[in-house]
Amino acid sequence: MNELTLDPALRQPLADRLLALADDEMLLGHRNSEWTGHAPILEEDIAIANLAQDEMGHASLWYGAHGALTGSDADQLVFFRDASEYRNCQLTALPKGDWAFTLMRQYLFDAAELCWLERLKRSEYQPIADIAAKVEREEAYHYRHSSAWIRRLGLGTEESKQRCQTALDELWAYALQLFVPLPGDSALVEAGITPDLRRLQSVWEGRVRPYLITSGLAVPLETTAAATSRQDHLPHLAELLAEMQEVARKDPEAQW
Amino acid sequence: MSDTQWPTYEVFIQDRPERPYRNAGSVHAVDPEMAVLNARTVFVRRPACHSLWVVPAASILARTAEELEDSLPDVTDENVPEETYHVFRKTNQRRGITYVDQAGEVEASSPEAALRAALEAFPERPVYVWWVFQASAITATGEEDIDSLFAPAREKTYRQQSQYRTTL
Repeated sequence: MNELTLDPALRQPLADRLLALADDEMLLGHRNSEWTGHAPILEEDIAIANLAQDEMGHASLWYGAHGALTGSDADQLVFFRDASEYRNCQLTALPKGDWAFTLMRQYLFDAAELCWLERLKRSEYQPIADIAAKVEREEAYHYRHSSAWIRRLGLGTEESKQRCQTALDELWAYALQLFVPLPGDSALVEAGITPDLRRLQSVWEGRVRPYLITSGLAVPLETTAAATSRQDHLPHLAELLAEMQEVARKDPEAQW
Repeated sequence: MSDTQWPTYEVFIQDRPERPYRNAGSVHAVDPEMAVLNARTVFVRRPACHSLWVVPAASILARTAEELEDSLPDVTDENVPEETYHVFRKTNQRRGITYVDQAGEVEASSPEAALRAALEAFPERPVYVWWVFQASAITATGEEDIDSLFAPAREKTYRQQSQYRTTL
């Protein structure tokens, strides 16, 4: 099915889910872009800027699908919504922290995104299946990059291990929010459009738990997400948006 | 102060199947796997790439034509089994062409012996710089890496200079 053949009752739930996917990618991309010029070595500076651009590219695909469904415009969504209107999870808006924190967030997110994409490739909603197939190739590289770092930090020096563990302890409950369903998700799952998030979480845990453990890290015991609604934001989001939206809002009529 | 710089790896790119590899530059990395990822990041974002090699810079024997005029490298006469060495050379001094290209392979029992063999096996001149290294020093990407490491770059036309939008 596509925009034209979609059950009208599913339009709002689908629009909500697409916006959540897009906002997560957009904000994670923006956070990663904050490393540009500041990464620990030149090669990683280029890598993280590249990654930031890729995540924003994925965001623009999801915003595009949202636009095809609702008539929304990506630039309007990104630059002219306030924090209360964003539907990212708190994980993606957290300040970038140290290198271990950034890479741990990226690793947990990449692993989740790969799990998502594997399922979304088979979505009954064709525009989603097409995007997932396109994004997955690139995401496989992201996962390879972030997982390689986690292993080397976890098994590296006393300090790198400590920083990596601290990041994991801090991030785990935030990462779990990636698997909290939106109110309309169950209808989408029933229609074969998006995956069941409970099952997705267990696939994700099956992937990350053994990897973290063999990387010398202890997986935190929390089982509850840091927040259960994507309408609950930390003050970090407004701070991020103030910077990200500043130029666009100075002259809303400007042609780019 | 101790040196905290990571080891250097030379990066070689094959842009299409069956084409010779060409040195693209170097990256720093803690190990070969990270070197492959860094090489991809630094050198394959825009240009086409089919396969990529990284080789520890420390395992490459490099000599300029001038150095070879003075003396050929000494070959120690040890009873070591032969193995395959790759030979790269710089045959052009045109502006912009700074790097070495793949010439072929020789069998030898040491880098020095490989260089001597290369001088005979590839008689075309001029050659400005010679590089030889063991085949076993290479970490290479495989067919399975093309999709995730190289293919997406082809679609990123916004990275081409011709796509940059400017306003007056």
